[in-house]
Amino acid sequence: MTEKRRLDAFDFVLALVLTLAYLALLLNSVADLGYARDEGFYFQAARSYEAWFALLHSDAARALEPGTIDGYWSVNHEHPALMKSLFALSHRYLWSGLGLFREQGTAYRFPGMAMSALGVALTYAWGAREGGRWAGLVSALALALMPRVFYHSHLACFDMPVTTLVLVTSYAFARSLKGRWGWALTTGVLYGLLLDTKHNAWLLPAAFGAHFLVTGAAHAARELRQKRWAVPNAFVAMALISPVVFYAGWPWIWHDTLPRLREYVAFHTGHEYYNMEFLGHTYWKPPMPRLYAWVMTLGTVPGVTLLLFAIGLVVAWKGRARSTPLLWLFCLLTCYAPWWSDVTPIFGGTKHWMTAYPFLCLFAGKGFAFVAERIRALGPGRLWAELTPPVVAAAVLIGPLCMTLHSEPWGLSFYTPLVGGAPGAASLGLNRTFWGYTTGALQGFINERAPRRGNVYVHDTALQSWEMLRQDRRIREDLRGTLDIASSSLALYQHEPHMRRVEYETWVDYGHDAPAAVGTFDGVPVIWVYAR
Amino acid sequence: MHRARFLWLLVPFAGLVELGLFAKDASRAPRITEWQAMRTEVARLKRASDLLVVAPEWADPIARFAFGDELMPVADEARADVTTYARAVEVDTLDASVPELDGWGVTAEHRSGRFRIRVRENPKPEHVLFSFLSNAHPPFLDVTAGDAGASERRCVYSEHAPSSTGGLHGHLAFPRERYLCGGEAFFVGVTILDDQDYRPRRCVWAQPPEGESVRLSFSNVPLGRKISGYAGLSYFLFRDGQHDPVTLSAHVAGEPVGSYEHRDERGWHHFEFDTERFAGQRANVEFDVRSDDPSDRQFCFYADTR
Repeated sequence: MTEKRRLDAFDFVLALVLTLAYLALLLNSVADLGYARDEGFYFQAARSYEAWFALLHSDAARALEPGTIDGYWSVNHEHPALMKSLFALSHRYLWSGLGLFREQGTAYRFPGMAMSALGVALTYAWGAREGGRWAGLVSALALALMPRVFYHSHLACFDMPVTTLVLVTSYAFARSLKGRWGWALTTGVLYGLLLDTKHNAWLLPAAFGAHFLVTGAAHAARELRQKRWAVPNAFVAMALISPVVFYAGWPWIWHDTLPRLREYVAFHTGHEYYNMEFLGHTYWKPPMPRLYAWVMTLGTVPGVTLLLFAIGLVVAWKGRARSTPLLWLFCLLTCYAPWWSDVTPIFGGTKHWMTAYPFLCLFAGKGFAFVAERIRALGPGRLWAELTPPVVAAAVLIGPLCMTLHSEPWGLSFYTPLVGGAPGAASLGLNRTFWGYTTGALQGFINERAPRRGNVYVHDTALQSWEMLRQDRRIREDLRGTLDIASSSLALYQHEPHMRRVEYETWVDYGHDAPAAVGTFDGVPVIWVYAR
Repeated sequence: MHRARFLWLLVPFAGLVELGLFAKDASRAPRITEWQAMRTEVARLKRASDLLVVAPEWADPIARFAFGDELMPVADEARADVTTYARAVEVDTLDASVPELDGWGVTAEHRSGRFRIRVRENPKPEHVLFSFLSNAHPPFLDVTAGDAGASERRCVYSEHAPSSTGGLHGHLAFPRERYLCGGEAFFVGVTILDDQDYRPRRCVWAQPPEGESVRLSFSNVPLGRKISGYAGLSYFLFRDGQHDPVTLSAHVAGEPVGSYEHRDERGWHHFEFDTERFAGQRANVEFDVRSDDPSDRQFCFYADTR
């Protein structure tokens, strides 16, 4: 196994192919994927920001007035602006301008897809650098072919972008450890962008700090005693450059900066507890189950990927070059760290620790390289032995590939064979869906069944998400979304146990309990519709 | 040691095994068309008074879609419990069964496709003489709000009151047929609440107006050994138990027979009042609901005589 090999032109071509192929796959599978609840809020924010960009273009002085900024940027100010700005610019230039997409929703989603595809490519690059081309390829594809990752990669949300930015910032940090200022400055800029993406960013310095303490603190202390600077340059860049990038990228904090930052931090450190089902129990207040993140990882990440990860971890532990694997490990553990506490909300399912998955896959790539090498050694010089990497790669990736393709458009309902798939998970009482996105899977039925100018009770689908379905003509234009069952002629219900009371309201109001259609994944009901 | 080298082959093999297990899991639960194909057989087995249940519980929406609400009506789905059913038809798959029927006998069983159909018999069914819920309308029920005396006022029954639903965070559904006691939430009528397992329970909504009571008077009720019932509030809304309790008191022919104090966090909770001394008679029965807590006592109960 090669370590720290230099990437060549073929690697870059391969990374580009991975990016484009993943992007094509995402674009090709978006048609019946409804808009998630949070996407609706981000569409609304992106529209507001887009209007501000237009004003900035036409009347910069007015656009930069504090009152104007507040008017446009107060929308969804509980999250920083980078991705929502990209959603806005994608809509402005790729949809309104170039007409590249038929649907506005896809234009808003495109930056998230692009960031996800870049994450796959970068995983390849880092994996190939550390463990060889096949290791990189398996790492990248193991990430791309996690069904939950695949689902989130479609969305106009922040979870995959922040995953990619955590990865790329960590990569730059790793490269900077050789003392190069170029990579250190890049780390500073990237970390600023990461801060501007989502608050998961706050955790990464802990990983870098732990890595430094373990790998370089003793040396640094000796150097400092000699009055020589031995703290990684990246830390300096992160302290000086990142805040500037963060500040520059988020107009909302351009004035009243400290109170607004305090509000931002307070929102996330004191986030309310939404309900989440886990092993038959709906958790809605602490203590939250400490096993949640681990069990959900086991239940949703293909088992063979986890097996390769475990092997990779052992291989890395026994290997000579430990700096990078240690960084991976610290990043991975830091991404999971909040769920070691029983007061951390669990409402986001797997998406909140998805930032750990590229590192998990990098270990898996290392594990793959090790296993492939051992199998090849069984028949030195023989033709079949030379074919070992592609054959083994195919064997360990075919399952994840089938699972991922099969999971669309029910990404959040997917579970691995370890818990018995979707039926097993439903019997165990694991969450079947959230965010109301599965409306997209029943759009055909809704269009066919709803009366002309009818009201449709959208349940957990945000009204903004429904509006986007309508504007994209995925839902008939004459159908109005409503949150009032009494005024509706069709009522959707996306199943979560604590939400069943909404279904019962429909029973009372409609006078019956038989759905008119049921959307199922592998025989498990996920969304159903009542007709008056 | 020589053979141990071959153990590494287990890794790609594990990938292929997982693929096989995935394919098996993905296809093991019956599809909607299979449920639909069962309808005729289930309809043949189910008598009017039978309960139709399915297992696993998560398949229930598919069963309701496939069998329709003639076979799975709201009254059965949102039952108070199973004690009053003498017989049930159980359709199960994936080796599941209905825990509520534990202890019931099996009088017939056969397999059809991926389903097991069993006819179950309750070893000790309880006979209901009078369901207060089923008779929560004129001429059986009269409703007044306010304490006895000058402030007491009669609630007016309407079959066409405006229906209203609260959504996830709001009130339970307000039915069209209800006694209106002044103010939207102050009424008496049949609705469905979510219990501590978020399951449906059909019940009579009787929210006491602030600081007052609401009284339900049923006339000419056939009585047995007891009044059996359940009470609760929407568990989702009131599971934090931050409100004062609600008290339900019952009188038969003007004599108190019992009272039950309900705390929100209990969820759907059973109560019983002894009416042995009235067994075999007919009498007026009054339920009085009150709470010292002035706000949001969205109390709902089921009761019958048996």
